[in-house]
Amino acid sequence: MNLFYLSSPSTFFHFAGRLAPWFFGLAAVLGATGLYVGLVQAPTDATQGEVYRVIFIHVAASWMSMFIYFVMACYGAMSLTFNSRLSAMMARALAPTGAMFTFVALWTGSFWGRPTWGTYWVWDARITSELVLLFLYFGYIALANAFEDPRRGDRASSLLAIVGVVNLPIIYFSVQWWNTLHQGSSVKLTGSSMHVTMLTGMLLMAFSFWMYAIGAALTRVRSIILERERRTRWVRALRPA
Amino acid sequence: MSGFGWAFARDLTLALRHPGGTMLTLAFFVLVASLFPLGVGADPQLLARIGPGVIWVCALLAAFLSLGSLFADDFADGTLEQMMLSPDPVFAWVSGKIAAHWMVSGLPLTLLSPLLGLQYGLSSEALGALAAALLLGTPVLSLLGSACAALSLGARGGGTLLALLALPLFVPVLIFGAGAADAAANGLGAGPHLSLLGAMLLAAAVAVPFAGAAAIRIALD
Amino acid sequence: MDHNFYLAMSYGATAVAIAAELVFLALGRARAWKQVNEERELEAQD
Repeated sequence: MNLFYLSSPSTFFHFAGRLAPWFFGLAAVLGATGLYVGLVQAPTDATQGEVYRVIFIHVAASWMSMFIYFVMACYGAMSLTFNSRLSAMMARALAPTGAMFTFVALWTGSFWGRPTWGTYWVWDARITSELVLLFLYFGYIALANAFEDPRRGDRASSLLAIVGVVNLPIIYFSVQWWNTLHQGSSVKLTGSSMHVTMLTGMLLMAFSFWMYAIGAALTRVRSIILERERRTRWVRALRPA
Repeated sequence: MSGFGWAFARDLTLALRHPGGTMLTLAFFVLVASLFPLGVGADPQLLARIGPGVIWVCALLAAFLSLGSLFADDFADGTLEQMMLSPDPVFAWVSGKIAAHWMVSGLPLTLLSPLLGLQYGLSSEALGALAAALLLGTPVLSLLGSACAALSLGARGGGTLLALLALPLFVPVLIFGAGAADAAANGLGAGPHLSLLGAMLLAAAVAVPFAGAAAIRIALD
Repeated sequence: MDHNFYLAMSYGATAVAIAAELVFLALGRARAWKQVNEERELEAQD
């Protein structure tokens, strides 16, 4: 099958509609399993007690906040290079979900920091750059919607997303470059220093959030396609939902 | 860089003929920086500690004020389209405009900063580091801010949108700029901070004009 | 403060955020279909 057929909004609309429920379903199953492993199976931590269990949401949400921004920037680059409408629509569809995960990462980190570090907030490098990421998401959404012509908004926000990608390595490497309260990475591609049940819980939640993000983006892009393409013949011929 | 010359000369001439905008930005900078000691209290140790940060934030706010008009005036009367038609590369005359903008906003700020630093009772090492950091950092603010100004040309939301877009990009400059003066005040040496600012300046000077050019093309389509 | 408070605030806020996003997705869908139907009515008037 020629994948380029998918770049037409009408084809993708139906494709996304068929796929989205599967992704939500996967997210629910993975999430339920991950929560069980994290809250029931994983042992109590030696130093932190029970409160360390925030990690199962905090780390997954942080990973997603960065990953979604990266994918959003990729779609932005595609929309600028190929002048593709659908790529820009996908980028717009991802932004609110990315902002949500960034907020969750900051919030859960704050409530994890209070009992462990003694404070709700500290201006260390990683937390500050994650906050900057949240502002980048807001800026992207604001810029995309700031113009009468939606294509102008597409292009401007795509450029902004690409420029802001420089923040991602800063977030990721900040714990290596600066002395911060944040611990260094305990999960690397080569292995992990964590207890295996905790790691399983974290990975399950991360995959759950990933599947959820795809489902949410596919659902959102369908609404965006409908609004943008409402004057086309294929939309007018759709059966009312 | 044949476009740089005429764009730089033109913008500088225009700015010097109508000094109102420049004066306003500088006055704002000095005013806000002078308000903080009044609000925070005159404890000399506190002022010396917050001085570099406050002066940097004032520099950022002054940048937000002055960046709005960098491309907007030319965009409004059609001059920007004429400039796009020139045979000189777009990134060249965009660099010229940004350089002229820095000459009448960032540079005067940098020159004024020792006076403001004295208001805050900063030591001479801190004053020197602050001025050096501003000298390196204000061009970065002009560069990054101009890209955001180009992106938001003709957008609803105007100045606030520009501030929202530019704020995340300004944060590293603020952190290292204020950090340089803090480090000097604590005797640690501002070398690393200034080096990082210098690196940011080099990277931005090379890369941002192309982003700005792309943004202007998007705006004019 | 009891550690369960922090756990509850964290997991609770996440649940609220996801629920809110799903609500906004549904609202967005309803708004899109409303616009499509308005467009259809406009075309029917021609």
